[in-house]
Amino acid sequence: MSVASPLSPLPGRHYHVDQILDRPGPRTDPAFVPGETPKTFLREQSKILVIGAGGLGCEILANLALSGFNDIHVIDMDTIDISNLNRQFLFRPKDVGKPKAIVAAEFIMRRVPGVKVTPYFGKIQDKDEDYYLQFNIIICGLDSVEARRWINATLVNMVDPENGESMKPLIDGGTEGFKGQARLILPTITSCYECSLDMLNKPTAFPICTIANTPRLPEHCIEWASVLEWPRVHGDKKMDTDDPEHIGWLYKIASARAKEFNIEGVTWALTQGVVKNIIPAIASTNAIIAASCCSEALKIVTTCAPYINNYMMFIGTESVYTYTFEHEKRPECPVCGGETIDISVGKEWTVERLIEVLVERQDIQIKKPSLSTSTKQLYLQAPKQLEQATRPNLGKLLSELVEEGDQITVTASSLPFNLSLRVTYV
Amino acid sequence: MSQTESQDIETATTSLQTTSVAPDNKTRRYDRQLRLWASSGQAALESSKILVISGSGTSASVLKNLVLPGIGHFTILDPHKVTEADIGSNFFLETESVGKYKAEEEVRLLKELNDGVEGVANTSDLATILKNDPTYLTSFTLLIAHNLHPELLEQLSSLLRSDPFHPPLIVVRSAGFLAEFFIQFHEHTIIDSHSETPPSLRIDKPFPALLDHALSLDLSKLDPTDHGHIPYIVILVKAAHEWKASHDGRVPKTTEERKEFKKYLQSLRVKADEENFEEAEAQAYRVWAVTNVPSEISSLFNDPILANLTPTSPPFFHLLAALKTYTEKEPHTLPLSATLPDIKSDTTNYIHLQNLYKRRAEEEKEEFTKILVANPVQPQTPIDKGLIDEFVRNSHGLKVLRGEKWRAVDQDSARLKEASQSYPSHTAIHLAFSAMAALELKGVQVDHTTPAEDLKSEAAKIYGPFEEIEEEIDNAIAELLRAPNADLPTTAAFLGGLVAQEAIKIITKQYVPVKGYCVIDLISSTTSVIGA
Ligand SMILES: [Zn+2]
Repeated sequence: MSVASPLSPLPGRHYHVDQILDRPGPRTDPAFVPGETPKTFLREQSKILVIGAGGLGCEILANLALSGFNDIHVIDMDTIDISNLNRQFLFRPKDVGKPKAIVAAEFIMRRVPGVKVTPYFGKIQDKDEDYYLQFNIIICGLDSVEARRWINATLVNMVDPENGESMKPLIDGGTEGFKGQARLILPTITSCYECSLDMLNKPTAFPICTIANTPRLPEHCIEWASVLEWPRVHGDKKMDTDDPEHIGWLYKIASARAKEFNIEGVTWALTQGVVKNIIPAIASTNAIIAASCCSEALKIVTTCAPYINNYMMFIGTESVYTYTFEHEKRPECPVCGGETIDISVGKEWTVERLIEVLVERQDIQIKKPSLSTSTKQLYLQAPKQLEQATRPNLGKLLSELVEEGDQITVTASSLPFNLSLRVTYV
Repeated sequence: MSQTESQDIETATTSLQTTSVAPDNKTRRYDRQLRLWASSGQAALESSKILVISGSGTSASVLKNLVLPGIGHFTILDPHKVTEADIGSNFFLETESVGKYKAEEEVRLLKELNDGVEGVANTSDLATILKNDPTYLTSFTLLIAHNLHPELLEQLSSLLRSDPFHPPLIVVRSAGFLAEFFIQFHEHTIIDSHSETPPSLRIDKPFPALLDHALSLDLSKLDPTDHGHIPYIVILVKAAHEWKASHDGRVPKTTEERKEFKKYLQSLRVKADEENFEEAEAQAYRVWAVTNVPSEISSLFNDPILANLTPTSPPFFHLLAALKTYTEKEPHTLPLSATLPDIKSDTTNYIHLQNLYKRRAEEEKEEFTKILVANPVQPQTPIDKGLIDEFVRNSHGLKVLRGEKWRAVDQDSARLKEASQSYPSHTAIHLAFSAMAALELKGVQVDHTTPAEDLKSEAAKIYGPFEEIEEEIDNAIAELLRAPNADLPTTAAFLGGLVAQEAIKIITKQYVPVKGYCVIDLISSTTSVIGA
């Protein structure tokens, strides 16, 4: 039987979901009480947050609404672009330019009876702990590593051992072309997003000297246009990678350089791909990953079946391949592990060299780190005066500034946590 | 943007003789997928016609993922009217749809997703069409059937199996957290499988122009900057040639010799940190790893069609026959690929090397074409240049898949036994679905009150004694009977993604589709492919 409540018009519509809530399965936890309890909690008490209303977000919102989550919140800072329409199915050509969160929320409420979707058109960083504390579960469908690191660290920091309710399950999905992954993070209990940073594909970074002096690929010419020529010609004017005129300019400059060096293959699509760091995306992969995320959310909220422990990888390029496994915590994870990272430093290393090494490390992934010890500031990226004051240190030997075994604290404005390094000279 | 700047673009464009106009709206809309299957894949999608049988939530999920990327046409075949239960599992129905034809309502709401796609609702029933108008069914590019009654499914699959030119069928079943699908196809050839193994650079068998180029360089006479910019490919070709000259024409064989070769490479450095020499050392194995025809490709040469090639054989097999002849000649490799990876080098050296590869690849393609047109059996219509080019370029990733009839696996308990050894729980789920179909064939309406024993005895008829998978069988049957008729929105969405991906792979003939049953368990969040 279905719960008749003002939140659930058309009670008969729960026919399908009710079947798994009215009866346990062989693998269901014996503590599961079938029937009204899970239904009431799911439909009338639970509150869920969806971060991202893009490719994954649209799918997640639709799945949650059909599954019976009636109080859904969604955050997204983006507006709709025409290139979203091949997969973000809550948007129509007339919506181009409007905020994704608002259009998506309105669509879901129009389509699914009884569901309330509360949109927020803005950044996740605008919200504080009190905001995140109100939800039972948070699902992330983001394409930004930085935003994921932020929400992950925020949720881990929020855990108060005295208060079980402060631990908010985070379900994270991501896709790229025919591949994707879905995972469950129980902050402080399972491995966290930061623990698995080294699993990310290393972003293709072209050394500046290649771009400037020895271009070989069309990509090198495009980088030359965007990284070196744009600021040289346009000064402080910001490049807008969504502006076709800006892409057109870059394409023209990159093509000319390619011609000069006899390099083939600079096209408009490639130019846009390189400067926007475009990741191929299709509806079907998003559907698979979003469905996995929402299936886990449904299982957690209703306890009708065991939830994933804790990571599923999907590859659809050759047959269908999934790999489900327990991703383990990293003891030296700066977010959930807290152990100091030991780092071997050459005696001849300058502060600048250390910064370069940190930027390159796959398990740290930090863009503009500031370094300090308990007694002095080694190098600060901002504010301007302190940057200028500490800049001379960049050329100094680290061994002259920091004793062996001392700790260096690394911070970056984009990350809501600090990293602690212990130096050994070799 | 100012007047002068736009003029600049125009002048630049003319001088470059390329189009620098911003892409049109359609290209922009499809940008993120064109990066996966290119315009050739898109064209195949746009000329496809898909029939989906049943207007279930799962069917709608599949179609959503096909309408968005822009298939040409879809038809939903479903004679039923919308109920409240349908609304709860199908995002492409709305409150006002209740009481109307499911197919019509779904087509209306799915068409909103993409103006470029044609959608048709067919409210007649399959049994009648099978009897009166089977050619209607075989006129589609691909058919997809969700939770279709096994009797109709049997008729449909037999019809589509009866002629090699009839379209493939994807059979989809789901119940609660469990699901499976099977693709019934005749023969599926893939030229562009998007193989992740890069083609050989043939460093062990350098073509004459590459060898000449390598030998023409006197490393000791280069200034240090140039020395640090010689591509590792050239370094290895040269070093291997010199090594062979002093080792009776042999490449480094033993571990000792290989160490020695690497030492020799080190001795060629003029500075400790030359990155091109670091690359050469890391890639040194290419000197002794023999480039020959990969076994996955040479095994295709035994294909029965090659032995009986006729003018009407598909172009793929005429091309394959030419490839076979090509590889029988020196240097017994696939045609050279023109693509060079990015390697440490300066522009001049890199572009020069790239041109050597390009020129040689072009020559080998010509050689291949000569063989193709000299094949004793010629295709009815000559194969166009574009296809030859594509075939040669992707020759290291060619695939031929041969399918079988739906349920063939269930008639072969040895294969089921083999599957159960690697994937016991997924094989058990498959058997539970097959047992459910067997009961339905006997006229039983399976619901949660159906005795588990009834399903178990049907499963035993297919599999034989369960032995070590008895517990898995019990679990699978119990989970199936928990919700045998539930089209769970999350399972529907998961299946919708998987099945649409397979449909895209089948239609574009790019990437590699599933062979066998893909079994899905969303309780353990796992999948397996059994009976491949
Ligand atoms: Zn962690």
